[in-house]
Amino acid sequence: MNYFGLRVPPRREDRHPGTCLAYGGTLCGSKKGGRGCAMAADAERAFTQGSICPLLPAMGMMASLPDTVVLMHGGVGCGTCLHGTNGNVRAGFAARRGRPADIRWMSTALNEIDVISGGNEKLAQAIKEADAAFEPKAIFTVSGCLPAIIGDDIDAVAAQVQPEVKAKILPVHCEGFKSRFMATAYDAVYHAIGRNLLPSPSPTAVREEKTINIMNVGSMGRVDELELARLVGSLNLHANFFPVFADPDSFAAATQASLSICTCPTHDDYFLQYLQEKYGVPYIIRHMPIGIANTGAWLRDAGAHFGLSDIAESRIKAEEEDLGNALKEFLPLFKGKRVFISAGEFRSLATASLLKELGFEIAGIRSFHYDQFAELELDKLRADGQDFVWNVANVQPFEEANLLKRLKPDLFLGHWHGNNTAARLSIPTHVIYNTGYGYIGYRGVYDLAARLYRKLSNTSFGDRLGAYSQLPYKKSWYSKNPFLFIRSQSGEAIC
Amino acid sequence: MLSSIESPRWTCALGGALAAAAALPRTIPVMHSGPGCAANFAWTQNGAAGLQVAGRCAGLSFPATNMQEGEIVFGGAERLHEQLRHTLQIMDGDLYFVLTGCIPEVIGDDVESVVSGYAAAGKPVIMASTAGFKGNSYFGYEQVLKAVFQKIVRPGSAAKRNLVNIWGIPPMMDVFWRGNLRGVEELLGLLGFRVNTFFGGQASLPSIANAAAARLNIVLSDVYGVEAAELFRDIHGVDFITSPLPLGAAASDRFLRRIGRRLEVPAKKIETIIQRENKRRYDYLEPIIDVYNDMEAQRYAIVIGDANYACALADFLAEDMGWLPELTVITDVLADDIKAGLLRQREGRSLIPAQKIIFRSGSREILEAAADDWTPSNGRYSKRSQPVFVLGSSLDRNLAQTLGAGHLSVSFPVSNRAVLNRGYTGYGGGLLLMEDVISAFILAR
Repeated sequence: MNYFGLRVPPRREDRHPGTCLAYGGTLCGSKKGGRGCAMAADAERAFTQGSICPLLPAMGMMASLPDTVVLMHGGVGCGTCLHGTNGNVRAGFAARRGRPADIRWMSTALNEIDVISGGNEKLAQAIKEADAAFEPKAIFTVSGCLPAIIGDDIDAVAAQVQPEVKAKILPVHCEGFKSRFMATAYDAVYHAIGRNLLPSPSPTAVREEKTINIMNVGSMGRVDELELARLVGSLNLHANFFPVFADPDSFAAATQASLSICTCPTHDDYFLQYLQEKYGVPYIIRHMPIGIANTGAWLRDAGAHFGLSDIAESRIKAEEEDLGNALKEFLPLFKGKRVFISAGEFRSLATASLLKELGFEIAGIRSFHYDQFAELELDKLRADGQDFVWNVANVQPFEEANLLKRLKPDLFLGHWHGNNTAARLSIPTHVIYNTGYGYIGYRGVYDLAARLYRKLSNTSFGDRLGAYSQLPYKKSWYSKNPFLFIRSQSGEAIC
Repeated sequence: MLSSIESPRWTCALGGALAAAAALPRTIPVMHSGPGCAANFAWTQNGAAGLQVAGRCAGLSFPATNMQEGEIVFGGAERLHEQLRHTLQIMDGDLYFVLTGCIPEVIGDDVESVVSGYAAAGKPVIMASTAGFKGNSYFGYEQVLKAVFQKIVRPGSAAKRNLVNIWGIPPMMDVFWRGNLRGVEELLGLLGFRVNTFFGGQASLPSIANAAAARLNIVLSDVYGVEAAELFRDIHGVDFITSPLPLGAAASDRFLRRIGRRLEVPAKKIETIIQRENKRRYDYLEPIIDVYNDMEAQRYAIVIGDANYACALADFLAEDMGWLPELTVITDVLADDIKAGLLRQREGRSLIPAQKIIFRSGSREILEAAADDWTPSNGRYSKRSQPVFVLGSSLDRNLAQTLGAGHLSVSFPVSNRAVLNRGYTGYGGGLLLMEDVISAFILAR
């Protein structure tokens, strides 16, 4: 079943009950029926710091599509995050199309009068302005919190204005307050793409026998795509990349591929199920190709689908041998160093597996959320019986500061804007994604190792920083239970 | 009037207020707003404020209620109450500053009564109303100023003859805010005054509390902070004067004369200072005279910035560098009377034969306005073969490229420069600005 017939896509928490935002305990303790604290889907915090709402990742995805305009319907602040995304998009265009280009976006900048009298008319005008100014192929009209509260109807406006504009209008529902899970963003954007940019199914449609849809993510640079294209290319398969940086017209090709495979299992199920149901494109959602074993597992899956398991096995063997030799010089420095990881659900877990392969010990992991897709990855980490702190948190650095003071790791890998706390504690940090760098596939393993080797070879910047910069917490906080403020809605503390 | 703004060169009131509150000494901003506002501003600053994000609290470390559907249905006051109680338990600050976003103000949360309850119990908690739909980041900055003047500045302090207050430089919206505040502080120091800057490393909460003792409030803007200055005057009886940003030597000369006269500094003393400071400046310039002239560094210029920067930068180029800033673009959305006021001030002040000042916000509109006059001509004989420089934001790179012009990002957003203690105000600031402008077009030398 799919929800693409609905105007508004469901929230992640409704589509995947059990999705969880707050947990503090250990990895093994989180296993159902295991010891320790139980995970509760309704868990939340009685103290919170600034977080990320679905709008942010959604804007990042949309802004990358060439020949589109993102029209933000909301207060003038919503969407200015794109100033921060612009660098990625410029670099992404330079890598894919030869020259950088700034994001094309506009805001309806709702004011007090609009809040009282409604913003529909303003949105309608703004769509026409965007169409006339840029002559784009598509205009994403994105609803922030305000229009949803005051009752604007972005779908009705889109339908009303569509006959007057050349661009396809794609209404996107991304109201921050509606979902606690950032992952809802991916569904919201896919919903708009699926409803507007795909052709009608046709029995005579061509099936590209050797073509595979590789689902990229906003945190993936071109260098990572090239690595995956190289790997599937070694099986004589051709890769399409969707949805990030894909031309609006190119999505039609997604319906003709022989397989879709995701690179981040929490990212794509909404769209890939739809592609399968409506266009008969089967999909694989299982492994993230970060780490040696994970990359092999990912490639093995793709190969098996096309009956190319033998070639895949020999490729994997050769790749692992090459990589293993190249990594040798780094491993003595890494051996036994303790690392703490904090990032999006899947990225944090897969990167932990990679770091174990490099000889690090895991001191702890924080994942921005938990859902059913993570179970396989969690089991990989649980397999050797080593247990460590696992914290589910949409950022919330106060818990992290407390944990880091206790655990004193030798290295920290964190999300974009998530390394500040560790850095001020003089823990060497490395950003867990930065779209210019390689992280994915075998090359990603090597590139990450080389960067960590460089990072650990001179930690003076952080050492001195920690001596003079203090975190904004009272000393007493560090002696309290880091998960003190986690509770379930019934009012009971979870841990 | 357009219904949309292309790539706004500012963020909302909450974003401006957050940047300002975070720049107050030992202050913990507490956001009562939707769940993504914090990250939105961190990402905004990341790509717009010369690599600076937040401050003592990291961008995602500000306490925030992250309002969800439940609060929208049942009201968010209780959640704010709980949040504040726990904030006081674990966050280390001397002032807790509640800032409201769109959601609580649309649903009608009575934030004021929650906050005043804490204040009544002796907790240092204040608030400002900063919903995004009420205004942009400059408005948010002004709301923070007003709250500080009402709640933190103590009335009735004994007047101090050598103390002045300055504001009008919005943290982060002015990417060089720290250096610019310091540059003005130094200028006023030359006249013998101590300065309350409110924001940045040189400020402290006790000195802010004592701001009513000042002799004069100097608003370094013709637009931002003026209403707050009126409020300050009404509450604390301290008068104010507005001034353009004194970028570089000529503007600093004017600033010292005007402010000095107002503060009854003997004219002779002022002139002695001006002579000395200019002499110092030209000591630095002497060794580059050969190359500056021989390389034909003079340019036509297009200057793009907010109401604080645009004209001040154009003046700097015209006076200190002897350039021809023929087109000045002010990017703020301003009321007609404020626009007229800004233009009136410029009347008869232009040093160069042709100077046009226009109001445009979107990069594309700006490009169209500039392209009319500045697109290089293919003709054999064209004045347009003369070199042009674009002094604006990082969003104006496309314009510069279209015109084959040099470019430097100074006004918001500044994505492609790192800004730590750099500032362009004062005599020293002017030298830095000149270094940066020249360096921007000799990269390939």
